[in-house]
Amino acid sequence: MTAVLSLLRLLERGNRALFALASWACFVMAILGFAIVIARYGFSTGSIAAQELVMYLHAFVLLCAAATTLAADGHVRVDIFYSRWTARRQALVNLCGSVFLLIPVMLFTLFISWEYVGHAWARREASGEPGGLAWVYLLKSLIVLFALQMLLQGALQAVEACHGWRKNEGVRS
Amino acid sequence: MIALLMFVVVCMVLLLGYPVALTLGGVALWFALIGVTLGLIEASELLAFPSRLFGIMNNPTLVAVPLFVLMGVVLEKAKLAEELLESMAALAGRLRGGLGVSVVLVGALLAASTGIVGATVVTMGLLSLPTMLKRGYSPAVASGTIAAAGTLGQIIPPSIVLVLLGDVLSSAYQQAQLAQGIFSLQTVSVGDLFVGALIPGLMLVTAYMVYLMVLAALKPDVMPPPAAEDCPRGASLWAQLVRGLLPPMLLIVAVLGSIMLGYATPTEAAAVGACGALLLAALRRQLNLGALKSAGEQTAKITSMVFLIFIGASLFSMVFNAYGGDEHVHELLMALPGGAFGAMVCVMLLMFLLGFILDFIEITFVVVPIVGPVLLQLGLDPVWLGVMMAINLQTSFLTPPFGFALFYLRGVAPPELTTPQLYRGVVPFIAIQVGMLILLALWPALATWLPSVVY
Repeated sequence: MTAVLSLLRLLERGNRALFALASWACFVMAILGFAIVIARYGFSTGSIAAQELVMYLHAFVLLCAAATTLAADGHVRVDIFYSRWTARRQALVNLCGSVFLLIPVMLFTLFISWEYVGHAWARREASGEPGGLAWVYLLKSLIVLFALQMLLQGALQAVEACHGWRKNEGVRS
Repeated sequence: MIALLMFVVVCMVLLLGYPVALTLGGVALWFALIGVTLGLIEASELLAFPSRLFGIMNNPTLVAVPLFVLMGVVLEKAKLAEELLESMAALAGRLRGGLGVSVVLVGALLAASTGIVGATVVTMGLLSLPTMLKRGYSPAVASGTIAAAGTLGQIIPPSIVLVLLGDVLSSAYQQAQLAQGIFSLQTVSVGDLFVGALIPGLMLVTAYMVYLMVLAALKPDVMPPPAAEDCPRGASLWAQLVRGLLPPMLLIVAVLGSIMLGYATPTEAAAVGACGALLLAALRRQLNLGALKSAGEQTAKITSMVFLIFIGASLFSMVFNAYGGDEHVHELLMALPGGAFGAMVCVMLLMFLLGFILDFIEITFVVVPIVGPVLLQLGLDPVWLGVMMAINLQTSFLTPPFGFALFYLRGVAPPELTTPQLYRGVVPFIAIQVGMLILLALWPALATWLPSVVY
């Protein structure tokens, strides 16, 4: 169990690194978006590639920050009851949640997107717009990366919740 | 029938407290699995999921969300909110009830940029509740004002929930028109919703302020006038005002103005707003590396939180519709007496009740795609519908005993504030909200007139 935990923690560093990238990407999006506005209204020029880049960054943020947000308990819960429960019971919710909800959803996402993303790779799918970016297949690959990241974080959550549940065995709710 | 069962099961599982996004997706997936095994639904119905996901990633309107979040987070980190409240209180300080009025105004301004109920109520509660109590405001009035002011941000543009609602309504509107056989599609945009929400939003702010001023005049003991030493005068007051009030006001006016005048899309305006907030923070020397890092991290967290709900809700609605849920809801709403009116009342009640357990974002992604097309087919105006839904949910968040805003405020309030006091304090504001809903139902032009003039 401890070996599994330390392996998962090691892999989790990857999630954190992607999260750090995503948090800086937010600023890049804002500055790039501002530059696009200035270019359009100040100099009457536009760049499809720049607009698409903003979108790519947006997709990166929303997908690749999700795992670390989960670790930081940043995804909203309906906590009417949850917040009043003991640590042991909360751990049970998180254990069952990751095993029966998170992991199945992310396995489903991974399997059902595999062919979709593979198809984009086979064609080296590029933007449909003239002057757009040629990396739509990479953009779509973010779905696979997202599912893998979430699976890892979900597994870690399950193991940690399991520990938490055992540790608080004596605690009565 | 199974679709409705799925809805009930999801609500029950949500109460266990596992993250909403994953609960929505997970429960739907189990229903899909059972349905496919028993041959109730086709497995091929699920194949559209990757392209739906890609649609969420590739939606230019929704890019406004992280940018508006960044703007709000940076303004918060730069301590603009605190100074704003101080300078507003100084400005309105000489008026009776001035502090209450300035809390409402700051709530409206501040929340406009974050749009997340919890965050605003907590900030406002921490900032202004101690001051209000110190100045002798009754706990009921103080807490009611803060809870109500904190929810104002949902309806005042540029709020994030209006961006999300606008996007969902625009696809619902297309669906409704296609179902009616109209192929020269009319569209409704996030900009339309922003503009439409402006008059009702400002009316609510005004009503809140008038109520507080009348109360201060009639019952000075619950809202005493400030002591003389609490009101700076002359040059220092003006300096404080220019520093605290002017910059964020200019920023929000610039963002809204550029959208309303058609110079920028909401997404572009959001990028400008985020850079403007960064500039303001830099001018106040609040922009060190650590502050930037934490602003970026918070933005990334909120963004992925919002969109994971969207992803989970998409899976949910796919399975819901595979079981024929959309048709059930359609039949159900059509069978109600009173036509569009009956359907609207029923949906509003449902959303009000759901507002007790779900946040605005979840309701927007789960409920609006299901009921929106039906209501719009009945001939309701999409902008009006969006504004009604927003005010309705805002009311729900204020309503005891389950209102979200009350929970959050309770969390940061000092122990001497009792829960009954809190409940008593919000009642007048709930009455104002309901009054506004009735006004808007009687005169839809309150929401629809301005967009028709602007665009």
